[in-house]
Amino acid sequence: MIEFSELERDALAEAFNLSLGEAAATFSTMVHEEIELSVPTVEVVSHADFVSQVESLLHKTRNMRVASISQCFESDAGFDTRTFLLFPEQGSLEIVRRMLGDDTPIEQITELEQDALAEIGNVIINSCMSSLANLFGARLEGTLPLVETATSSTLLRDRAPDAVMLVARITMSMSAHDISGLVLFVMDVPSLTKFMQELRRVFRMDD
Amino acid sequence: MNMLHLITQQLDLGLIVLDSRGCILMCNPWIAKRSNADPVTSIGLRLEEAFGASIDPRIARVVREALDFGWSARLSHALHPTPLPLYAIGGGEERIKQMIDVQPLKQDGLMLCLLQIRDVTETVRRESLLRQQARQLRTDLAKLASAQEELQRRELRFRELARLAPAGLFETDPQGNWAYLNERTSAFTGVSPKEGLGKSWFDCINESERPRVKAQWQIARESAIRFAEEFHCQRPDGKALWLRVEAGPVKDAQNQISGFVGTLLDVSEYRIRAQHIEFRANHDALTSLCNRERFDTRLRAAVSGAQEVGQSFALLFMDLNGFKQVNDEFGHAAGDKVLCTVADRLRRVTRQEDLVARYGGDEFAILLLDVGDEKALLHVVSKVRQAVSLPINAGGFHAQVSASIGIAQFPRDAQDAAALLHFADQKMYESKRQRKAAGETVILPGEQLLDSNTDSWDN
Repeated sequence: MIEFSELERDALAEAFNLSLGEAAATFSTMVHEEIELSVPTVEVVSHADFVSQVESLLHKTRNMRVASISQCFESDAGFDTRTFLLFPEQGSLEIVRRMLGDDTPIEQITELEQDALAEIGNVIINSCMSSLANLFGARLEGTLPLVETATSSTLLRDRAPDAVMLVARITMSMSAHDISGLVLFVMDVPSLTKFMQELRRVFRMDD
Repeated sequence: MNMLHLITQQLDLGLIVLDSRGCILMCNPWIAKRSNADPVTSIGLRLEEAFGASIDPRIARVVREALDFGWSARLSHALHPTPLPLYAIGGGEERIKQMIDVQPLKQDGLMLCLLQIRDVTETVRRESLLRQQARQLRTDLAKLASAQEELQRRELRFRELARLAPAGLFETDPQGNWAYLNERTSAFTGVSPKEGLGKSWFDCINESERPRVKAQWQIARESAIRFAEEFHCQRPDGKALWLRVEAGPVKDAQNQISGFVGTLLDVSEYRIRAQHIEFRANHDALTSLCNRERFDTRLRAAVSGAQEVGQSFALLFMDLNGFKQVNDEFGHAAGDKVLCTVADRLRRVTRQEDLVARYGGDEFAILLLDVGDEKALLHVVSKVRQAVSLPINAGGFHAQVSASIGIAQFPRDAQDAAALLHFADQKMYESKRQRKAAGETVILPGEQLLDSNTDSWDN
């Protein structure tokens, strides 16, 4: 199992923190509302650990499903990742409806809300990726966002069970409401190894 | 390339390709039809040059990110409703509602940018309708919830009232089976409010009265009218109750009787009081014998009854000899004792169907219906006389009185009640006079008097 050292973790968190700050600023301008994104905590987890993390997030918020916004990225630094932003389903509805200023209770997320959620995820994910790209001095090219709702077990079912993932926990606060979410980088082992190498290089940890 | 061109012509989607400088390389007819931008002349122009300056500034930013960093972006309708000046085909002042995807495209080592524009006007309309319906539904649900709450409150109110009500409340099906009964009904009848449901309410009626009540119920059911009856009911503790039931039919939507709702009242006390009042009106307070009014009524009834069927009956009129002396000598209490004892004895020596009355003072009258022949009548008279003449314990001493009796027989002696009474009265005085003439002032043995012609049938 690949683990981050404390130093590496701090470095990553700091990098994300900067980028999330930018994402929050972008949002605030878009929706004319104060939005804060918390300082993330970062760790590498196995698939099984990840499933239990998602379950605890759902359990805490009494949700059955997560709303997932994902984008695939390719880097010229030699690693590929699929990046996910996950919110409990109701939390995602709350974010979107608050932003759109319409709290009409419709059970399912509508097509337009799904588009809006895609854009929100897009802004956050692109911000995170931009900070990584800046950090590594690399290019990270990404696809359009994809929105799905899934349970903890169906979320990453197309991934090999031995895949590892980098997880950053964030909390979005708007109008005195906190909505917890996860930013997730799913990589295969070669990609993660390369990613770590880049990280160590950037922070000169091997010197 | 031709095929690709054809496809881009037909797509229901706006396509714009920008080169690495952000200048238009290509835009499809979908865009041209909805804007002022000409597909040919706009080539080589920047977006703001082709479409005018009123473009959402975020488009420029995400185009830059796509070209410089290779990022993709979605501009949703919700956050950017009308980013480009595009209008519905055939006119309209308002921009169509749009959703734009911006993606990097790599061609021959060059970075291009693809914009896909979707018209979401119809989706927005549909979703706004959906929201409107959802709001309506929410309002309707709130109304329903408050109606339900009101219903529950009413139900609670009714249940509490029913629990406290001094009257029995109940509902039955058309056949008379319990459908609901409150606590009071249960207390009256001993029927459990739960286990009793479905059982016949007639079961609580005294068996001898059941057919009568059931028949009335049947009439009420057939004619759809109100129903009121009184009947006896054995309470669970064994006490017999007089209950008054009043019920009315309940009709369903088809105007058919779906059951009855009604009340049960315990009228036992009222009944007992009414009986007392009736008894007092018809009876002598001292001896509990019939009083004069009652006797006269019965006598008149006997006359008309006997006239109809051609029967005969007899009337005895009696006065006590020696009573005044008892009263004067020993007081009214002793006199009352004598009267009560005589009354008891008269009751004993007559049959159930005979009527004995205290006619006034120390006068008694006896109506003997269907007494048989003369011999039988005289036998009765003899028994009466004997009963009266036996010594009476009047508290510390024995008093003795005797009877003077006048007999009248219908129809032989008179044809109406007044005449019969007059006749018997006369006979009685005759008897008294004869007794006085014979010097028998106080006590005359019964047997001697029986032989006296004043009492004889033929007199």
